[in-house]
Amino acid sequence: MRSYQSVLILKPDFDEAQVDEALAGITELIQGYGGACLKVDKWGKKRLAYRVKKNRFGYYLNIYHTCENEQVPALEAKYKLFAPIIKFMVLRLDDKELERAMGSGEAEEKAEEGENKEAATPEAATPKAEAVAEKTED
Amino acid sequence: MGTMGTTNKKRSFFSQKICRFCADKAEYIDFHDVKALKPLISERGKIVPSRISGNCAKHQRQLTNAIKRARNIALLPFAVEH
Repeated sequence: MRSYQSVLILKPDFDEAQVDEALAGITELIQGYGGACLKVDKWGKKRLAYRVKKNRFGYYLNIYHTCENEQVPALEAKYKLFAPIIKFMVLRLDDKELERAMGSGEAEEKAEEGENKEAATPEAATPKAEAVAEKTED
Repeated sequence: MGTMGTTNKKRSFFSQKICRFCADKAEYIDFHDVKALKPLISERGKIVPSRISGNCAKHQRQLTNAIKRARNIALLPFAVEH
């Protein structure tokens, strides 16, 4: 089983609820082909560089997922028929790229949590320091 | 004298002849990082050659792939619309 990155452009007139609904449908599709969603990024509504199916804007979704190797063309065919999607691109990721993709998300989350952690670290640090002190005494 | 003038003109767009990705110590070039890619395509949407931008061969190869992927997913234009 390989990992893939699917970049999907949804119709621009979707609100958050409709996007979530479409996302649920897409995850179902992926699971139908023996895959699993690893990470979902919502890039949000962006202006397209050129018109796609007469749309000037689009809602970008970025999904990291796994899929059975032979089922990828079938998945792409399903994307094509899935009404909310106006354009898509499926990229195969090698191990390094996957690690990077997973890592970048974690780094962002860590940066966000950083403020909360700063408050927590002094408490967490003190027991360790005590433990070290005990060891040195022994 | 004439040739000197043209080279100076070319240099004025990209003043330093150093690979900007090497300078940033970038390991890879992300295709959805449009801000980084935009300065490296011409007004008509063509990829700027490394001869002019000063990128190293390794990063120029990664860059062309990134730009082509970005074009495919409508982040960058194939050609300027009229």
